[in-house]
Amino acid sequence: MGKTNIIIRDNEFLKIIVSKQYYEREAVFAAAKKFTDQSTIIIRPTPDEKQVEIVFQTEKENDVVMENIAKSFCNELLDQQTRLDLEKRFWKIRNLIVQHAFLPIENLTEETLSCK
Amino acid sequence: MPLRFSRFDHEILITGEAGDFYFLSIEDFDKLLSEKSDASSQIYKDLKSLNFIADDDLMTAVNMTSTRYRSKKAFLTNFTTLHMMVVTVRCNHKCKYCQVSCEDENAKQYDMSPEIAKKVVDLAFKSPSKHIKIEFQGGEPLLNWIAVQAATERANKLQKKTGKELEIVICTNLTLMNEEKLNFIKENNILISTSLDGPQNIHDKFRVMRDGSSSYSKFLDKLSTTRTHLGHDRVGALMTTTPLTLKNIRPIIDDYIKLEFDGIFLRSLNPYGFASELKNELQYSMDEFVEMYKNALEYIITLNKNGTRFVEYYTTLLLKKILTPFSTSFVDLQSPSGAGISGVIYDYNGNIYPADEARMLSRMGDDFFLMGNVDETYSEVFGGKVLKNIVVNSCLEIMPVCGDCVYLPYCGADPIRNYLETKDIIGDRPSSPFCKKHKLIFKYLFEKIKQNEKETMDIFWSWITNRNCSKNAQN
Repeated sequence: MGKTNIIIRDNEFLKIIVSKQYYEREAVFAAAKKFTDQSTIIIRPTPDEKQVEIVFQTEKENDVVMENIAKSFCNELLDQQTRLDLEKRFWKIRNLIVQHAFLPIENLTEETLSCK
Repeated sequence: MPLRFSRFDHEILITGEAGDFYFLSIEDFDKLLSEKSDASSQIYKDLKSLNFIADDDLMTAVNMTSTRYRSKKAFLTNFTTLHMMVVTVRCNHKCKYCQVSCEDENAKQYDMSPEIAKKVVDLAFKSPSKHIKIEFQGGEPLLNWIAVQAATERANKLQKKTGKELEIVICTNLTLMNEEKLNFIKENNILISTSLDGPQNIHDKFRVMRDGSSSYSKFLDKLSTTRTHLGHDRVGALMTTTPLTLKNIRPIIDDYIKLEFDGIFLRSLNPYGFASELKNELQYSMDEFVEMYKNALEYIITLNKNGTRFVEYYTTLLLKKILTPFSTSFVDLQSPSGAGISGVIYDYNGNIYPADEARMLSRMGDDFFLMGNVDETYSEVFGGKVLKNIVVNSCLEIMPVCGDCVYLPYCGADPIRNYLETKDIIGDRPSSPFCKKHKLIFKYLFEKIKQNEKETMDIFWSWITNRNCSKNAQN
């Protein structure tokens, strides 16, 4: 269930199946977005809705190597999920930094100072 | 504390909200994320001093980062400093790569009237910025000298009245320079920005006079006269990169040194105007440009190491963004975009655009970026929907792909180029040449910083701080 599956066919078709348990929608989309210049990408749930399959399609004459895309995408997906996790932990502090930068300190309220 | 990261060869590069950075092994990065870093280690101390780790001192770390963030965004308080005036579209050159589709020397209907020139200056001085920079552009601005004079006189009058700092620049090919104009330029403390593409065979290949004759010898002659009259340091030059440049960058740098310029600005050609009509002759990939850039920079570093002080200005701007907490006035790399809020351009007819490329787009029939006209009020033009649309949609933090890019603190948005390429001002990063160029250049500069070779870093710092560190330097 949690295992990532990679299927490559004739260097024209690549399907990567990942578990929703490990990867969120935002991470999958952000990772896939970075490959849109190299192939057409379809993202859809598997029939049991527990996994997501990311399908990459390209033309035969294209010099893209699907195996390389598969490797890069897996790392990118991992990085994007990590970024998402970091954002969940630190978005309030990030907002606070920007608020402090643009407001005189005396204008900051108790509410804006609370980042817990 | 919040951070962005990227795999960097076999390590991880992390950057903070205000541009602090650090290289970590994958193992140490994992420890940082899982809050298992050894508090007695040097890495932990480094990360704490750079505010990547806050411990129990969260508000101190937030305050320090906020202060640095505010410094990085200082350009926002200088709304709007740079006011570019296209005083004429006429030109005595017919450069093949010209962005502005210049007109024949006799087409005086493309001149800015002195009345419009004065209205432009009046509007410029309504900007909240304490520093006003007026740049006369063309075409060839010396062809409409009466507008240059009218605007300069008006600007001096308003400078005295408002107390704002005033800087005036004329961007000219120099070939029409004469004693009368030089006297006026000197009296009014005006700077000159000219164009030099390299030695004669390269310069003349794309920069030709309208009658097809060579421009190089005329340029040399006028450069000498202008420097003699105004002073050597009052004249700067810009180079435009063509496919010919890619193969000849070292002789071009040699020519700049021979002509005693202090440095060079390596910039890629924008695909607008005549340039897009001559794609086959002028086009090159960003990979090719960045290869040339690296080749040039290595050569320039070697020259500096051997005692010739020579600056690469684009690198200097990027290094200032990476290595210092300060903001730069470079309009092209700001978030939100500097288009309109840092620099604005007034066409000969008084129409106002956020950038020259937007003006070019208008000449091609698309007024998407037309902010207004000098006959409108300041708030109508600068508080209008065009500029609001640019600002709202050009903050990197909310732009797809940019938002999580490790180079975000140093980069900027180019909504006009995005619109030209995709018909959407947010654009598409995976296919964007702008994004590709900057990622490659940032990666290369961070490699240099990571190597931390003393002589190279001394040269970089000498460029940032504008001091001479070469072996021949006098104390």
